[in-house]
Amino acid sequence: MKADPGRPSPLDADHAAFIQSGVSVIVASRNADFVADVVRGCGCRVSRDRRQVTVLVEPSRAGTLLDDVAANGMVAVVFSQPSTHRTIQLKGTDAQIVKLTAADRAVAARHLAAWIEELSSIGYAKEFAGALRGRAEHLAAIRFTPSAAFQQTPGPGAGQPLEP
Amino acid sequence: MPLSLQSLRPCFEGAVPAVIATCARDGTPNVSYISEVHYVDAQHVALSFQFFSKTRQNVLENPRATVIVIHPETGAQYKLAVRYLRTEDSGPLFECMKAKLAGIASHAGMTGVFKLRGSDVYRVESVSEVYGTALEAPPAPEVDVTTLRACMARLSGANDLKSLIDALLDVLEHPIGIVHAMVLMYDPVGERLYTVASRGYAESGVGAELRLGEGLIGTAAQARIPIRISHATSEFGYGRAMRADAESHGLTAGLEERIPFPGLPESQSQIAVPILAGTRLLGVLFAESEATGRFGYDEEDGFTVLASHVGAVASLLEDDPAALAVEDAPSKAASATAQGPPLRVRRYVENDSIFVGEDYLIKGVAGAILWRLLRAHLEDCRSEHTNRELRLDPAIRLPDLSENLEARLILLQRRLEERCPDLQIEKTGRGRFRFNVRRPVQLIEIPP
Repeated sequence: MKADPGRPSPLDADHAAFIQSGVSVIVASRNADFVADVVRGCGCRVSRDRRQVTVLVEPSRAGTLLDDVAANGMVAVVFSQPSTHRTIQLKGTDAQIVKLTAADRAVAARHLAAWIEELSSIGYAKEFAGALRGRAEHLAAIRFTPSAAFQQTPGPGAGQPLEP
Repeated sequence: MPLSLQSLRPCFEGAVPAVIATCARDGTPNVSYISEVHYVDAQHVALSFQFFSKTRQNVLENPRATVIVIHPETGAQYKLAVRYLRTEDSGPLFECMKAKLAGIASHAGMTGVFKLRGSDVYRVESVSEVYGTALEAPPAPEVDVTTLRACMARLSGANDLKSLIDALLDVLEHPIGIVHAMVLMYDPVGERLYTVASRGYAESGVGAELRLGEGLIGTAAQARIPIRISHATSEFGYGRAMRADAESHGLTAGLEERIPFPGLPESQSQIAVPILAGTRLLGVLFAESEATGRFGYDEEDGFTVLASHVGAVASLLEDDPAALAVEDAPSKAASATAQGPPLRVRRYVENDSIFVGEDYLIKGVAGAILWRLLRAHLEDCRSEHTNRELRLDPAIRLPDLSENLEARLILLQRRLEERCPDLQIEKTGRGRFRFNVRRPVQLIEIPP
């Protein structure tokens, strides 16, 4: 399945900035039996035209997720800011494992620092925030075209399509 | 060795939100946060269902899902392969999760947003640790089996309900280290709980009442399950609001006089555990702390063991023939000479409210008992009494369960100790006591 290249990105500049900040990044896919697997990611990069999103994950933590993504391209990613509960979910049907770049490594390093700062701001110890996020050097990159985006902040509006 | 769900219980306190990944019938995955993952038993968890969401739609279509929970101290992540079984929207599990969610919501600044619609029960098919960099494990729990055994031995040594309740509060204080606690007994006729003993409060609050189903304590009593919260919440609070309520009622004095409920103004962690004899509710053990997250699953287990032992011992004491066989005719021993200005005691007949001077003392069954003792003192110069004679007295309108009399006597004895040193109840043996009157009394009845 390929996303329609003519369709505009569901992400506006504010959404793009939000998902690239020190938010939690939770990546899910599913296997051939329709059982989902999930992993906490290590950051996110949005392409200049906001049509492509790359999320970084630690392969050692990812279970069968990378194999599942390679097999069927289906992903769901939730981005959430612990201090505000602001949450966005993106879905993609064309996800693939792509080569990790130096820019991705820089994104992961910035994300780790921003994440620790975010969690410290609401009272968590830096060590705890670091343990949760993981500090591994070895990463994998999953790139996809967001085909749908949802507002998922807790409350009555949760589940509504994202409005740019 | 495979990981047991039980060993992951700290992950189910709601301190760090969990996530669930599901898959729709068309193969689209979905991932979402869960406010509360509740440990049900070694094979089951229940997830809070708060909003009609994609997650909910997916599990109804395709019950297999994956949950990640996080250890709140080590940051370790655990993956649970789960299968959706059913949703419960009432009953003990629901009530327990509702209270806990209220605490979680308060902690997250989400009071009013996080509202439990149902408890989604899942079977846990496997548990694995996500490879990672967990921090060092926290220290072992305080309520270990050895400590519990010693506590239970002390409870078993009690020879009446009063010493049993005192022993319970004693062992909580030492060795368990719980400073603020109280015991409430259940009145099945009035469907109320009334405080009979407490520790750690400026005012004991003995005699303070709660309705069944009211607040954390009333909910635990009604659902007959332990309920606890780790963060202060107005939804289940009893503190300020109830005290303010009592104060406003106090101003109107007279029939519906109330005793302020004890409690910590800055209470963060609270636990209420029902005291049951079989399935019969005897009362509730309540403890609280100004620290957040003070009572975890281990404390809940420990308190539940103690409360169930208290229930069993209380039940044995009720049935003990020795306790019931005290049939000696009460002696006519005169009270110690009463001296000083007379004590004016008023009784509002309608609900047996008793006032000493201008001060409210007690009402209901305990009020009726006191009135009877005062009349026996004045009319027969009698101070020796037995539980049996009170139990047989129709004027006292005692509910027909025997522990009610014992509990009412404890309540009356404590209230007199605190509020009226001139009138005292002194235990003289199993099922008997002496009523000491140290001042002349003048009785005034206020008809309905």
